[in-house]
Amino acid sequence: MKAFNLSIAGRTRAGLAFLLIAFVGAPALGSPAALGAVTPFDDDDATEESTDDEEEEQWLALVGGDVHLGTGGVLRGATVLTHEGKIAEVGYDVFVPEEAEVVDVAGMRVYPGLIAVGSFGLFGGSGNLRDSVDPYSRNMTLALAAGITTAVNGNTVAKLKRGHLEGLVLKDSAFENFSFSNRNPQGQLKVVSDFEKAAEYLRQYRAWEQAVKRDKELKAPSKKGIDDRTVRVLTGEIRPRFSANDRTDLAEIAALARRFGFRPILEGATEGWTVADELGRAGATAIVTPRRRSSASERQTSDNGSSIENAAKLHAHGVPVVVVPASRGIVLGGIVGQDLLHLPIEAGFAIRGGLPEQAALESITIEAARVLGVGHRIGSIEVGKDADLIVTDGDLLHYQTFVQWAIVDGEIVYDKQEEMFFAHIRPRPDSALAPEEKVDAGEEDAADPQSDEGDAGDEGDSGDEEAGDGDGSGDEPEPEPDGGDGDGL
Amino acid sequence: MILPSLLAFAPLLSPSVEPARLVPSESGPFVIKARRVEIGNGEVMEHAVMLIQDGRIVTMGQDLPIERGLPVVELGEDQVVMPGIVDPYSRYGMSGGGFNDSRPNIMASEELYPSTRYDAFLENGITTVAQYPAGTGIPGQAVAIRPLYGSKDSMVLSDGVYLKVVMSNSAGNKRNLRQGFDKADEHLKKVEEEREKFEKKNSKSKKKKKDDDDKKKSSSKKKEKFVAPTPDPKVQPFFDLREGELSALFSIGSAAAYEHLIDAIDDEEFEWGLRIPLRRDIDVFHVKDKVGERGVYTVMEPLLTLQPGTMRQRNLPAEFERAGAKLVLLPRSDRPSGFESFLVDVGVMIGAGLDRAAAVRGVTQHPADMLGLGDEVGTLEEGKRANLLVLSGDPFQPGTKIEAVLLDGEFVIGDIDQ
Repeated sequence: MKAFNLSIAGRTRAGLAFLLIAFVGAPALGSPAALGAVTPFDDDDATEESTDDEEEEQWLALVGGDVHLGTGGVLRGATVLTHEGKIAEVGYDVFVPEEAEVVDVAGMRVYPGLIAVGSFGLFGGSGNLRDSVDPYSRNMTLALAAGITTAVNGNTVAKLKRGHLEGLVLKDSAFENFSFSNRNPQGQLKVVSDFEKAAEYLRQYRAWEQAVKRDKELKAPSKKGIDDRTVRVLTGEIRPRFSANDRTDLAEIAALARRFGFRPILEGATEGWTVADELGRAGATAIVTPRRRSSASERQTSDNGSSIENAAKLHAHGVPVVVVPASRGIVLGGIVGQDLLHLPIEAGFAIRGGLPEQAALESITIEAARVLGVGHRIGSIEVGKDADLIVTDGDLLHYQTFVQWAIVDGEIVYDKQEEMFFAHIRPRPDSALAPEEKVDAGEEDAADPQSDEGDAGDEGDSGDEEAGDGDGSGDEPEPEPDGGDGDGL
Repeated sequence: MILPSLLAFAPLLSPSVEPARLVPSESGPFVIKARRVEIGNGEVMEHAVMLIQDGRIVTMGQDLPIERGLPVVELGEDQVVMPGIVDPYSRYGMSGGGFNDSRPNIMASEELYPSTRYDAFLENGITTVAQYPAGTGIPGQAVAIRPLYGSKDSMVLSDGVYLKVVMSNSAGNKRNLRQGFDKADEHLKKVEEEREKFEKKNSKSKKKKKDDDDKKKSSSKKKEKFVAPTPDPKVQPFFDLREGELSALFSIGSAAAYEHLIDAIDDEEFEWGLRIPLRRDIDVFHVKDKVGERGVYTVMEPLLTLQPGTMRQRNLPAEFERAGAKLVLLPRSDRPSGFESFLVDVGVMIGAGLDRAAAVRGVTQHPADMLGLGDEVGTLEEGKRANLLVLSGDPFQPGTKIEAVLLDGEFVIGDIDQ
């Protein structure tokens, strides 16, 4: 019965779509669905709608915002339509189905949800994420407030699906960690020999693959003594992650990578700017913390130590840059601004050092997704990708900007005005916390008949004007439709 | 509707009343006349007349004429009658701790130790109590008692009234619960296998019989009946849940625990309720609509909590009730001091926005229904046990005193001249 109903609805929708094509000129903004819809700010209403959505098809439309695709483009005043958790359409003249939840984001910006390639304490509980996540944990909400919609917890790539247990885990194993450092020469030799053995094994295996076509009796080469992870690195199945900051370590990892033909992920890379060209040629990706400091050693003649230009120089040499803050948790004590709550700010510091803004945005979205191997699902606003989006009231990388809404899989999971953390700071004009003019207007209206009755003349009028002025100064951008302005005049 | 006829006192005890495990004490008939009676379902009856005999309310109505010669307890103008309070979740009177594992077959009745400590319930108007087994996993099944010191048999009203289960967002709790049902499934599979084996064996022997003589037919037929193997005692409660013979009470301390509970049991169908121990900064309000939609019993204290991170008060009992949950209220602490302030505490919640009728239901009717004792106690209706309180005024006003407690038709606290 249900399915039948839905199919009918689908058909009518298709019909309407045809109609709309006929009226090519009609922009999506002007459609009644877009105009009539108001975001539910009342707690009860919101939950009611979400339960309805579970039964019906789930549509969400963000209408009229500047859409930063995350792949370089910006569509001003465009619409993002999501369907069943995926991005269905991006652009202009988008037909918004009647049952869609519509959020008017005019004057705001839409970005892909941010990705933290390392985190702790966002998901509550301990052990297996699926059985221990606290989908209402405070830190999850705070991370969403920072714009983060996906984070690596332990070594699991998981979405911040507030209020849900299902569909949380995007990828079970985020990184394969390798160690290659001058501090442990023995370990370095072992890694090199592992790669040599694995390379030899693969040569033999490929030869066998050809030979076995002719002679089916041939045995596959033995895997004994071969490090499986190394084989998977060499076949391109996974990318190894190295934790390295020294220029010598970085250069040697780059040399190793070029010798064996893999693309390393370099976490830290504090001195990456000194060997950026080598890293670029090795196809490395760097995970950097722009504000990390390490002083240069005076005994070394070559460039060393940290540089605010690190991210910029790496980027200039073709090294994709991913940004993480110094602390991977939500830290509400200590020095403010170095934790996950300030991921965009950290990327902003890379801009300060010369990284292009687009690259800074990518460093916390698509490049982070790619380094986790989930670039096909998240990290940019493209049709067919997961509908993980954030809406901000300004440039994402500006310190003044707040995330107004965070959306995971097409569902609003964070609304700044609904959570206590930042609701009171520069509240949205449509929220209950916004400075209200209607109340004053009502008082004025109430006072008006009195002045008319008493025929108070000058005194009454001047009083009204004063009140009117007081209102006007507070809320200039929005003149009242039928309030005291008219009376004052 | 009330019969306008004369109250006849002899054999009026309704035959439809199911004999309880414990037969209320036999006593002569008497009448209580009260200006105001809280029925227990949220309604109020003014100028009520109740005929009580053999521990039960035989007839009840408004301004019924009373046959001459019947002893009458005529209450004062200010006095209010309400059903005895039902406390469905207490360990007062029991001692010891429990384990953090799955022991669903443990019965709290086994550790019931009759003592005069139970007087504390009656003194504060609690006439029915369910006592649960201690522990933080699946500690076992609760027992409903009447808290009057006596032999164990005289105290137990109903055993196995619910299975207590503690849920949290931990893999262990979830596993305990899932394993319970999984083992039930395993047992069913085993039974099926046994049955197949048995039938195969039977058909073989039948063939043989056909080949042979028909003489032994009669004797072999007796053996043909298949006897299913009895399940492990730890598994049986999960069958009882599925068959509706047992309900579960899940204790959850956070919204996350609720989500994990639903994740663990959503494909199972059985009766269950929630015990939500309220803390100052509890976050269960996130799931109030989901709980409300299911309309399950929700057991909580009359306590104002705070929106986490703020000093904004929340009335969660009222919020859950409005969302559609069947609210059950519980003394704030499981001690005589908690029992004593219970009704006043509920009054505070009413003052903070809890519907008054819902509050009455929450202390009488709903807990009784939750324990499966709705036909016996919880409301003042014909045929039910005469468990009632005589109060000096409105039950929820501070200063109101419990002047008498009637348990199964007998004054156990206070005595009002007849």
